[in-house]
Amino acid sequence: MIRRLYRKLPGPTPVRVVLSVVIVAGALVGLHFFYDWLGTIILDPGGTVG
Amino acid sequence: MTDTADEEEGSTGAPSAGWPVRVTRAIGWTLVWLGALTVGFVAHQLWVTSWFAQQNQGQLAEERVAMWAETTISEVVVEAVDGAVPVEDGDDSPPIVLKVESPPELHAAFALIRILSIDRLEEGWNVVEGITLADLKTGAGHMPDTALPGQPGNAVISGHRTTYGQPFHELDSLEPGDRIEVDTALGTHVYAVRETRIVDPTEISVTEPRDGAWLTLTTCHPEFSARQRLVVFAELVDGPNLEAIEAAS
Repeated sequence: MIRRLYRKLPGPTPVRVVLSVVIVAGALVGLHFFYDWLGTIILDPGGTVG
Repeated sequence: MTDTADEEEGSTGAPSAGWPVRVTRAIGWTLVWLGALTVGFVAHQLWVTSWFAQQNQGQLAEERVAMWAETTISEVVVEAVDGAVPVEDGDDSPPIVLKVESPPELHAAFALIRILSIDRLEEGWNVVEGITLADLKTGAGHMPDTALPGQPGNAVISGHRTTYGQPFHELDSLEPGDRIEVDTALGTHVYAVRETRIVDPTEISVTEPRDGAWLTLTTCHPEFSARQRLVVFAELVDGPNLEAIEAAS
């Protein structure tokens, strides 16, 4: 599936590689914020009272 | 759905699988992705957040040291509890003098909490002013509008238990009499644990002022849950202001 998605990217190989890196980095950053939000909600909001 | 399967279905012209196979395959891949996301979530919470916290602690330590150098310390004459003002003409008794530091700026590191009986806190964890989510990602947070550590009243400090460095992870191991030290610009304030309590997250009464000088630590309870709060009450037993606070109360 990953290879199929890569083939759908436009441009020559160098452009595809750069686009892949940008997309993966963006996904990781998005995942970080999602995990952070989820952890705050269900695991540990910091222990405050009130 | 695998690369091999894509190639088989897409380019070789092989007969496509029937719908039961396709549905099973889709369910399988969905479970694989959900599993990967769950493992990623656990790894993120345990290690990534703690890595961020450790980076922030280094920066906060530098800020705290710089802040202490700039802190203004003043002395305030306080009244004894019976209402008698100790400083009067002809009164030979020494005045009760309380050392007071200038209030810290919001979000700034101003103290270091140390609990020798907990390995993780043996070398201390920086305390910032404020208890927003952002504050608590960097260090333990002092609740604004409560007393500062070493001052009369109730100083409330909150911290993470399972994420962001887990500063208060082992707070449940504290026994009555265990010592908690808090360094501020005034010096080291030593507290002794008196009581541990489990309360609801909305139990604001644990933050109310108390007679004498108290430190209240709060964190999540049980582990890996935000359902309740573990609260540790500790009383000042040593420090630059102990004599003044005891004399005034």
